[in-house]
Amino acid sequence: MSTQRILVVDDEPSVTRNLKLTLETSGGYEVFTENDAGNALAAARASLPDLILLDVIMPGLDGGDVASKLRADPLLRDTPIIFLTALVSNKETDGHEMLTGTNTFLAKPVDIGELKKTVGEHIRR
Amino acid sequence: MPIIVGLLVALVFVVGWIEYLTGFEISVSFLYFIPIIISTWVAGRSLGNMVALASAGVWLGADLLTGHAYGHWFVPLWNTLMLAGSFLVVVALLASLREANEGLEQTVARRNQSLQAENAQRRQVEEELRHSLDDVRQTHAELQRTQVQLIESAKMESLGRLATGVAHEMKNPLMTLSLGTDYFLLRKTENQEEARLVQDMKEAVHRASNVINVLLDYARPRPLQRTSEDIHSVIENSLTLVRHQLTKQHVTVVREFDTIPPPLSLDRTRIEQVFVNLFLNALQAMPPGGTLTVRTFTSHLSGSDSDAPAGVIVEVDDTGHGIMPQDADKLFEPFFTTKAPGQGTGLGLAIVRRIMEIHGGSIRLSNRNQGGARATLQFNIEPKDQQ
Repeated sequence: MSTQRILVVDDEPSVTRNLKLTLETSGGYEVFTENDAGNALAAARASLPDLILLDVIMPGLDGGDVASKLRADPLLRDTPIIFLTALVSNKETDGHEMLTGTNTFLAKPVDIGELKKTVGEHIRR
Repeated sequence: MPIIVGLLVALVFVVGWIEYLTGFEISVSFLYFIPIIISTWVAGRSLGNMVALASAGVWLGADLLTGHAYGHWFVPLWNTLMLAGSFLVVVALLASLREANEGLEQTVARRNQSLQAENAQRRQVEEELRHSLDDVRQTHAELQRTQVQLIESAKMESLGRLATGVAHEMKNPLMTLSLGTDYFLLRKTENQEEARLVQDMKEAVHRASNVINVLLDYARPRPLQRTSEDIHSVIENSLTLVRHQLTKQHVTVVREFDTIPPPLSLDRTRIEQVFVNLFLNALQAMPPGGTLTVRTFTSHLSGSDSDAPAGVIVEVDDTGHGIMPQDADKLFEPFFTTKAPGQGTGLGLAIVRRIMEIHGGSIRLSNRNQGGARATLQFNIEPKDQQ
């Protein structure tokens, strides 16, 4: 079985760096990172991940915009997305169709145990 | 009137008879003035003239009957005419006086009437002014309320923006710290001190994150999800959530519940949060144990004769140390706490009040006469969202 790939999109380099370190050392995943939301689609096309961890509030494009682009791409349409949010309230998702409904949210700061559990449940087998 | 006329004529004849008996004393002749004055004053000029002429006639009759010897037949007639003339002059003077008096009375009556009308008009204007003043006062009070609400809502909006900004800016660094501590925790160091240090860091991150979550919850409450609820069921569930602490601290729970309280439209989860916060505060005020009393009763519309229930009052009493006088004004202020550092965020009561307010209800804290503190919650039957 090949190593499963995760793409982490977050504008905070320390977050992407540490998520990569933690998920690779304790989860056995191969992790790609992207700090520029504008490059997220290209990064996803290049890595074709089994799951994407996507920050909601980013400068320029936000998580909802990025998710819409990913959903419009035939290769990435079915890739599961877990949103990382700094806000506990659902208000942050107001007005974004992609952010409402059945999508999964994890509140920052994410507990590593909870993160690994949620990733394990959602990652494409 | 005919009786009065009859009596007066009889009086005139009585005077004439007395005159006849006394042989025409001049002083008796003055007695004729009695019926003349009475008739003029009571009935006016016409009757006065009639009685005056009748008196002169009676005087002449009585004179003729006594059989006085006059030098000429014209003398008694002349006397009668003179007497009649003086009687008529008295009637004329008296009648004029009477008419003037009547005129004066009428003028006074007219003046009175117009004064009364003016008074009534003034009273009406006063009444209208009073109403206008009441309206102005009411409008002013409403304006003040609206102003307070606007200030409050603007304050909450800017606090909401601030909280969102703080949450966004703080949670990313906290995320880095959390991932770092998790990483070190997973490495399972042999050094106990190092392990303890990392664990402390993990807890610090958790605490900081919790403060931000509570602040967000306070500043940007989620929209209420109201359902029709039995308040007793909400209270019981909240008591279940703190059951462990109640048992641990040997606190006795006393329920003084209303028989059948009206159902309330409320967000069950948020109101349970209110009760749990209040119960935990009560527990923290009674470290050696004590009694927690929860009392409910139905309030009725004030000033109304009907028995229609207006809402439900819930009182939460403890037997702790009560509220310190210097703390009374600050209890609902965000980040005010009497607990040790790390034991509370200082947002518990602020959130409790906020939740009650967005439900359109209220909360009041006071000291009980028997010792300990009391929280009084007012729930309205008619839901009034204030968010």
